[in-house]
Amino acid sequence: MPHREKLAWMTLLLIAATYGPYFVHVVLSPPTPGLLPNLPQLWLLALAAGGNGVLHILGRIALRVGAPEDARAPADERDHDIQRRSSMVAYYVMMVGMMVVGMVMPFTTSGWEIVNAGLLAIVLAEITQNGLAAWSYRRSAA
Amino acid sequence: MSDRVIVNQIRTLRFMAGEMSQAELGKRIGLTRQTVAAIEAGKYSPTLEAAFRIAEVFGKPLEEVFQWSRES
Repeated sequence: MPHREKLAWMTLLLIAATYGPYFVHVVLSPPTPGLLPNLPQLWLLALAAGGNGVLHILGRIALRVGAPEDARAPADERDHDIQRRSSMVAYYVMMVGMMVVGMVMPFTTSGWEIVNAGLLAIVLAEITQNGLAAWSYRRSAA
Repeated sequence: MSDRVIVNQIRTLRFMAGEMSQAELGKRIGLTRQTVAAIEAGKYSPTLEAAFRIAEVFGKPLEEVFQWSRES
């Protein structure tokens, strides 16, 4: 499996492991409206984002140690092609998300709902990009 | 849509070049082993430049390495 495909799968896994529980919690017990800054909610968000970041760094180190030659190899034309296509689709996901969050939601809601919707748009764009990359690698695997 | 597909003789040419590995071919043309495997299996069409590089490694003209054939 190419190094960059492993990275895409790892990113998807880490999103599920960190932001998944965060959004499940947000759905099951939504933040109290009007309560700002709502420190417990802020801590949860910091835990999800920080945990994702730390695990991502550790995962990259583990992949590099596991297959150092693969990790050192520069991206080739297929990697660039897959990256370009997946990023293009993810860009539109992000753009639609940001339009909803920045141009629609301020008229209907406020506070943590907007914050969480913004975060969801970013996470969905990441899932789109890495999901498409992983699928493209699988599809063209020998 | 075209009823033609791009096929290649890379596996044969590697064999004739002393069973050159996919990794070695990839190293010589700046592609990963996995990309060479994908090209060889017809799952990925290389850029024109990469195709010329592959042909150059085997000392063959491009049309002896890649062909545009009708689907059987």
